[in-house]
Amino acid sequence: MTVPKAILNDTTRCTGCEKCVAACKRENGLGRDLPRRWKLCIDDLSSTRLTTIQRREDGRPVRRMCLHCLEPACVSACIVGALRKRPDGPVVYDRDRCMGCRYCMMACPFGVPRYEWEEPVPYVKKCVLCHHRLDQGKVPACVEACPEKATIFGDRDELLAEAERRVRGEPGRYRPDVFGRDEVGGTSVLYVSDLDLGFLAWKPELGAEALPDLTWAALGKVPTIVLVMGGLMTGAWWLVGRRNKLAAEAAAAKEKEAAAAKEKGAGGGDPPSAAPPAAAPEGRKP
Amino acid sequence: MTRRLTAVKTALWLLAGVLGVLTAVRFLRGLGATTALTDTAPWGFWIAFDVMSGVALAAGGFVVAATVYVFGRERYRAFARPAILTAFLGYAAVAVGLLYDLGLPWHILNPVAHPQHHSVLFEVAMCVMLYLTVLFLEFSPVILEHPRLQRPLLARVHRALQKVTIPLVIAGIVLSTLHQSSLGSLFLIAPYRLHPLWYSPYLWVLFFVSAVALGLAMVMAESFFSAWLFGHKPRRELLGNLGRAASVVLLLYAALRLGDLAARGKLDLALQPTGHAALFWFELGVSALLPAVLLQSGRVRAGSGGLFGSAALIVLGMIGYRFDVCIVAFARPEDMPYFPSWTEIAVSVGIVAAAMLVFIFFVEHLRVYPPEEHGPAEPRPRPDPGTVRPLLAGPAAAPRRYSLVAVLGAALAVALLPAGALFGDQVARTPVAGPRTLDAIRVAVDGRPDDLVLAAEPARQAPDGMPARALLLDADRDGRTVLFDHDAHVERAGGETSCGSCHHQNLPFDRASSCGSCHADMFLVSDTFRHESHVGHLGGNAGCARCHDGGEGAKTREKARACDDCHSDMLVPGAVVRPRPGGLDGRAVGYMDAVHGLCVACHEREVALRPGELPASLADCGTCHGREDPARLRRLGPYAAADVRRAAPPPGAAAVPGPSE
Repeated sequence: MTVPKAILNDTTRCTGCEKCVAACKRENGLGRDLPRRWKLCIDDLSSTRLTTIQRREDGRPVRRMCLHCLEPACVSACIVGALRKRPDGPVVYDRDRCMGCRYCMMACPFGVPRYEWEEPVPYVKKCVLCHHRLDQGKVPACVEACPEKATIFGDRDELLAEAERRVRGEPGRYRPDVFGRDEVGGTSVLYVSDLDLGFLAWKPELGAEALPDLTWAALGKVPTIVLVMGGLMTGAWWLVGRRNKLAAEAAAAKEKEAAAAKEKGAGGGDPPSAAPPAAAPEGRKP
Repeated sequence: MTRRLTAVKTALWLLAGVLGVLTAVRFLRGLGATTALTDTAPWGFWIAFDVMSGVALAAGGFVVAATVYVFGRERYRAFARPAILTAFLGYAAVAVGLLYDLGLPWHILNPVAHPQHHSVLFEVAMCVMLYLTVLFLEFSPVILEHPRLQRPLLARVHRALQKVTIPLVIAGIVLSTLHQSSLGSLFLIAPYRLHPLWYSPYLWVLFFVSAVALGLAMVMAESFFSAWLFGHKPRRELLGNLGRAASVVLLLYAALRLGDLAARGKLDLALQPTGHAALFWFELGVSALLPAVLLQSGRVRAGSGGLFGSAALIVLGMIGYRFDVCIVAFARPEDMPYFPSWTEIAVSVGIVAAAMLVFIFFVEHLRVYPPEEHGPAEPRPRPDPGTVRPLLAGPAAAPRRYSLVAVLGAALAVALLPAGALFGDQVARTPVAGPRTLDAIRVAVDGRPDDLVLAAEPARQAPDGMPARALLLDADRDGRTVLFDHDAHVERAGGETSCGSCHHQNLPFDRASSCGSCHADMFLVSDTFRHESHVGHLGGNAGCARCHDGGEGAKTREKARACDDCHSDMLVPGAVVRPRPGGLDGRAVGYMDAVHGLCVACHEREVALRPGELPASLADCGTCHGREDPARLRRLGPYAAADVRRAAPPPGAAAVPGPSE
């Protein structure tokens, strides 16, 4: 039984030293940050910078990284299952499956996945919670590098309890809510802070509903649509075909009658077909 | 008529020629070099137009198939073949367009190998693949009618296909319903990014209903266009009926759209004077309200202009709807807008042009339209090997004409290509600005005597401080500064004679040149060598051999003498930075690499030399970076506030913008 792991970031302890960034770059073999067209500034998240220190207006450092949602939008969006949520927490990426549709980048509520736009053979880049280190029983490189214990790693339940303890214990120091406990169904990266962390997502106010549920509300209707639409169309085709057939038969009968009548009383009577067939008989040729 | 057709085909071949070059560039140089896409605009013109709009524009196929085959409206049978062919080519264009957009197009079949059925995109992909097959089967009897294909085996295939027409048509309708609606469901995952005027849990209903209307409009528009192109009469009365049907569907769509907004309590958003509200009404007006009203009028329906105009409004408006959902109303930072590059647009246009050429080919060679509608056929070219013809004369020259314009289009595309598309994406140049001098006061903070406090208004100056000057480094002027205590470094390095420790190389006749005079770009290698000036000083052409090795061949930089062969005084002896083996070559690395290399190397060395004396964090990024409040420094300039200080770094402070490795 794997225990879900998590990271707890305490922005009040972060000094913005960026040792986590340097460690992440070293661990993941990321290249230099260059001013590319697709970045606002070079120390934003990018394909060469999977975690970064963002400085708020008042200069306060806040670490940004993938939040490793418990029910990730990117995983549900991925068409080939290249993104996967491991039971122990990390949302990992399999580059051999990826086909580069970038739907994950559209889906992520935090705008985390980045793309190697400069490459002719590009891949998605995002923090994978150093899952290769977790497999070796080590903690993620960024956590190991942090000299202030501003980012710690552990079981999610325990970290959540620790976060609550900090928030309750020092209400003057922290905002009352733990970011990531409920947001978009909960995340494996938690934050306690004195700042409003709404800027981490595309909208400041995130609901507690997991985003994949929104899609599933529509996607789950697919079998119904197939049955209803298929049934309706088959029914309509059968009805219309039958009506046309009956109309054609009636017309033929009438014509016969009229012909007979014509034969009987030559010269008199109505014109042969009072009601021409509404439509030609069902055609099968395209 | 043939002249009009030839002109259109010529134009299409020109666009196809452009597409050829852009295809090569796209796959050799990647998405960054050919598109305007960014990390905040991962889907752009290709998805919005080629895929979202392309699929919707091809909706005419299933709408007409339902009308004719399921509901038995035989009068519309004439529309069936062109509509199904349009749909088939439309979907093929979608698939081709997708190949350009996918980062790894050779993985396009991975959804079959690794299905992930919770993804809406997976459902769309499966439906599109299946529907493309269905459309091919639906259309293939038309191909099999061709006189050349009258073989017994093919005739049996033909008969078998005719038998399954109805199941195929119904399968096509079901598949279309699914993926036309699912294109809307794609955006259900992004409630925090899509503007609430567009986001709805019922996006899939709206997409389906709008696709039906768009399908009808496309049948109308396509009928008028091909009537114009091939010189036959449009069936105006039937098209009028289609228009009336479209009008009903559009009213339903508009009612659903507004009703959904009202039910979710978002209608007031549409009534506020915002750009999004204006866009919403404009889009809804053009795509639905205006054409619905127009098509309700019998007079509009009676005239070709009114019918075609209304159909065009619907087509443009519904494409606009898809662009709004996919791009315009999809949130991204205000200072990072997305506007497609011309190459993106030209690729989409080129794909449409190629699809139209295939359409024309089918019309010319197969019975797509009922025979009575055909105008006089284009005379078949009869090649006469005995005659030499001028390049552009006579209808037989057509293939040559088309090849020529395609080559012209390719040449045009090459001429217009941006440098990034030719040579791969380039990093923008970031010229370096020199340091600014700041008045400061040197005070003792926590017993450390050499800390700087920036001089504020005189009243707040520390009484025991000594006036000092400091350098404010912000080479790329991004507002994030490093306060460099030049005086303290001079003192530590050994006073007036120590300049060379850091100023490792000087411009000729200069002493202690600043970093930026050679490392002139923030990130990129700069050229510091002035060739013209050397040519002038060395006596013009006669002086070449004084630098370049004698002998034949090109006088390249590689064959030139190292700068320090002559300018030995440029190098400062005993400097921390030594020239590369082989001597100076006139190239300077980027400013950031240079400064990091110099400062970090020295700090690391000092820490290693005096481990007990200096804090281990001296070599960390935080020693220099991130200690000041950049906003305040910028505002106050030389009179920065006193509480902005560069105190001794706390143990373990580090790091920086940019790579420190």
